[in-house]
Amino acid sequence: MTITEAEATTIGTPAERRATRGAWWVVFKQEAVELWVGGRAINLLILYSLLLGLMTFLLATNTELNLIPPKEMVFLTLLNTISFGVFIGMIVGADGISGERERGTLEVLLLTPASRRQLILGKLLASLTPWPAAFLISLPALIVVSQGDEVIGQALFLGATIGTALAIAFAGFGLLVSTWSNANKTSMFICLIVWLLLFMLTQLPGEVQKGDFGYFVQRINPMQATSEFMEKVLVNNRTFWERDEYLRSSVIAVVLVLFLLFVIAAPRLRLDAGRARRLRARWGSLSGMTLTVFLLFVLGAGPAMSLGRQLFQAEGWNLKVSLEETFLEVKTGDEVNFDTLLENNGSEDSPPVIMALNIIKLSGDVVDPEDWSPERTQHVDFVPAADQIRHSWTIEAILKGDYMVYLVAVPEPGEKASSHPISSPGLHLTVGAFQRLNPEGVLPVVIAVPLGVTLALLVLVRLRLRRLGQGVADASEDDDRVT
Amino acid sequence: MERVEAVRPADTVRPGDTRPPVLVAEDLTMSYRGWTALHGLSFALRPGHVMGFLGPNGAGKTTSIRILTTILRPTSGRYFVDGISSDRPAQIRPRIGVLPETLGLPNQITGIEYITYFARLYGRRGDDARSHGLAMLEMVGLRERGRSLIRAYSHGMRQRLGIARALVNDPVVLFLDEPTLGLDPRGQQELLALLRDIAHQRSTGIILCSHALSEVEGVCDDVVILSSGHVVATGSVAEVLTKARREGPRRTALRLHVPAATVGKATRLLEALPGVAAVSRGSNDRQLEVELAAGPDEPGADDHRSTNWVLDALVDADIQVLSFEVEGSRLQDAFMELTEGARS
Repeated sequence: MTITEAEATTIGTPAERRATRGAWWVVFKQEAVELWVGGRAINLLILYSLLLGLMTFLLATNTELNLIPPKEMVFLTLLNTISFGVFIGMIVGADGISGERERGTLEVLLLTPASRRQLILGKLLASLTPWPAAFLISLPALIVVSQGDEVIGQALFLGATIGTALAIAFAGFGLLVSTWSNANKTSMFICLIVWLLLFMLTQLPGEVQKGDFGYFVQRINPMQATSEFMEKVLVNNRTFWERDEYLRSSVIAVVLVLFLLFVIAAPRLRLDAGRARRLRARWGSLSGMTLTVFLLFVLGAGPAMSLGRQLFQAEGWNLKVSLEETFLEVKTGDEVNFDTLLENNGSEDSPPVIMALNIIKLSGDVVDPEDWSPERTQHVDFVPAADQIRHSWTIEAILKGDYMVYLVAVPEPGEKASSHPISSPGLHLTVGAFQRLNPEGVLPVVIAVPLGVTLALLVLVRLRLRRLGQGVADASEDDDRVT
Repeated sequence: MERVEAVRPADTVRPGDTRPPVLVAEDLTMSYRGWTALHGLSFALRPGHVMGFLGPNGAGKTTSIRILTTILRPTSGRYFVDGISSDRPAQIRPRIGVLPETLGLPNQITGIEYITYFARLYGRRGDDARSHGLAMLEMVGLRERGRSLIRAYSHGMRQRLGIARALVNDPVVLFLDEPTLGLDPRGQQELLALLRDIAHQRSTGIILCSHALSEVEGVCDDVVILSSGHVVATGSVAEVLTKARREGPRRTALRLHVPAATVGKATRLLEALPGVAAVSRGSNDRQLEVELAAGPDEPGADDHRSTNWVLDALVDADIQVLSFEVEGSRLQDAFMELTEGARS
C-alpha cells in the first residue's frame, strides 16, 4: 500500500525536474562527508591497514613462506587487498538504507524530490569511496613484496579494474540487502556471512578446489574466480584472454547486482521494509530465476564444448596430452603443481595408458628426475571416447636454472607389438635463486606507511570535530564555505 | 495539473474565510489486510491555520500523516495539497514539510551543513542553498549555533533544527508529529510560539499531532479528533467543545481551588447554595468539585447563571479563589468525552 517510485516519479514542471536532476550528486557528497568525517571509513581503514600490514609481515618474514617468489607474494597481497577492501564497501553499503531506517532519517529523505534511484546511486557511490583509499594504502606493501619484479604493473592494473568491479558488486550487494532490512544488525550479519563464505572458499587447500564440483564453485564464486584468474595471470604467466572464463562471474555479479539494485529494489524502496511481503515473494522468484540463468550461463560452456567434441570426433581412439601451464617462474625450494589433460578425441575407448613425467635442464647439465618428483608415472585403465582425464603433478624445484618439463602418454601396446607414445607440450620452468626479504629494512615501511596515512587522516578529522564542537560560532563568520 | 475548485468540508471552513484550502482530505480510508486503520477522514486546512490531530494511541494519527505526506497510499479517498491531487505524489512532496516523531539527525555534521544539504536536495545551488539554510536557522533561533556539531545540540535545539529542515522548501503545509515531546515547559512554549509565527507570517498550513491537549488548545485553530480510526469530531476548538458538551451527559460541574484553610468554610457555604447538588473534595486538599443541579432546559443558560452565582458567593464570603474551571470547557474534557468509546 506504500507509494512506490513507479507511481511517484511523475514529476511535474520542467523547473522541478531540473531542480532534482543532480540530487544523486548532492546525496553522494553528503554521504561521503558523513562517512569520512564521521570516522567510520577511517576506523575501517585503520583496521584494514593493520590487517594488511600483519599479513604482509607474516608473508615476508616467515621462514617457510618467504620462499614464495615475488610474483606469488604480489598475488597474495593483491588478493588480500581486494578481499578486505571490498568488504569495507559492503559494510558501508549494508548500513545505507537500514541504518537510515533505524536512525529515523529515511522518512525525510524519501519526502524530498530526489528519486529513489538517485538516493541509491548517491549512497552506492559514497560506499565505494573507501575502495580507492584501501587500494592506495596497499601500494607500499605491493611494491615491497614485488622486489622489483615487473609483475607489479600487471598487479596494479588488475587491482584497479577487477578490484573496482568487485567493489561495485559487493557495495551494491550490501546496499541491496539494506533495502530489504529494517534493522542494521540484520543487513550487517547477512553481508558478513556472505563475505565470509565467499572468502573462506578462496582459502581452501588446492586439492579441495579441484574436481568437477571444485572447478564449478571456483567459477561461480566471484572472489574465488578472481583469485584463480589473478594467480594464472600474475604467477603462471597466462594472458588475460587465456583464462577469461574466470572473469565471467565477476562481470555477471556486477551486472546482476546493479540490475537488482536500480531496476528492482530502488523504485520499490519504502519506509518500512518489513511489510513488503508481496515484494519479498517476487524477490524470491526473481532471485531464483536470476540464479538459474547465472548457473546455466556458467555451466553452459562445458556441455557445449563436449557436444562439439562429439560432433567432430575421429574414428577409433585418438589421444592428446595438454598442459595447463607452459611457463613458470619459481624460486629454489618451491613446490610446483600443475595439471595435465589426457583427452580421447576418438569414437572408441582407448587402451590402458601410462603417463610419464620427464625433466631436462636446458643448459646441458644432467638432471636426475627422481630428485625432482616423487611420483613420475601414473596409470590410466582407459580413456572413454570423447572424454578426458585430468592428472596432477608435483615437482620440487631444487636447483637454480632453466628446465623443460614434459609428459608422454604411452598406450599399452598389443602382444608382440609397439605403440606410439604421445608427447605433451613442454613446460618451461625457470628456477630462481633462493631469496629472502629484509624484514629489518623494508617491512617497517610496509606497515608504517598505511598506518601513517590513516592516522594522519584520523587526526585531521578529529581536529575538525574539535574545532566545530567548541560550541557557539560567530554568526558574522557564517559566510564561510561549507566544508 | 488537477486543482480543487470548491472542496469545502463544512466542519472546518468558516464563513468569511475565502482563501482556498492548502490541504483537503476527502473520505480517506486505509485498510491493512482486512483491518481498517482509518475510516473516511475528511477535512480542509486553510493557509495560516494550525490544525491539531488528536486521538489516543492507535487512533490513526500517524497513518493519517503518512497518507497525507505521500508515504502511504490510501485504500480509498483522495487528498489535495495546494490543489494538487494525491495521484501526483512527486508534485506534492516539494510542497510539504514534515517533522516526523522520530527525528533522526546526523551527529557529526553541523546544523548549517545539515540544512544546506536539504536545501540542495530541494534544488537550491551553491551560495543560495547556504544562505537559505542560514535564513531558516535564523527563523528558528539557531543561527548562532549553526556551526556547532548537531551532537552538541539540546533536545529543544534538535527539534527546532528539524523544523528548520521541514521549512527549507517553503512548504505550503507543514506536518509536525509530537514536536514538543520531551521538551521542558519553556521549550514547549517557545516551540508553540514559533509555530504560531510560522503559520501567521508565512501563511503555512500546519498539521500538529500531539498528545498534549493544552498545547493544542492554545495554538490550534481547528482540531480533528480520531478514535479507533474514526473521526469523532472536526472543526474549531469551540465547535468541538460544543459538540462534546452536547453529546455528553447533562451534568455540569465546577472545579475550583481555594486555600487549604478555607476549604471547610467554602464547602459549607456551597452546600447551602440553591442549585448545588453536591460538593466533594478533589484530587488534593485544596480542590473542590461542585456538581450543579441540572435544569430541564438547554444546559448552557443554566450553567452560566449557576457558575456565576457560585463565584459570587465565594467572593462575598471573602474566600480567595485560586482557580475556577467549568468542567467541559477544556479540550481535554472534550477529548475524554469523545474518545471514551475507544477505551471501553
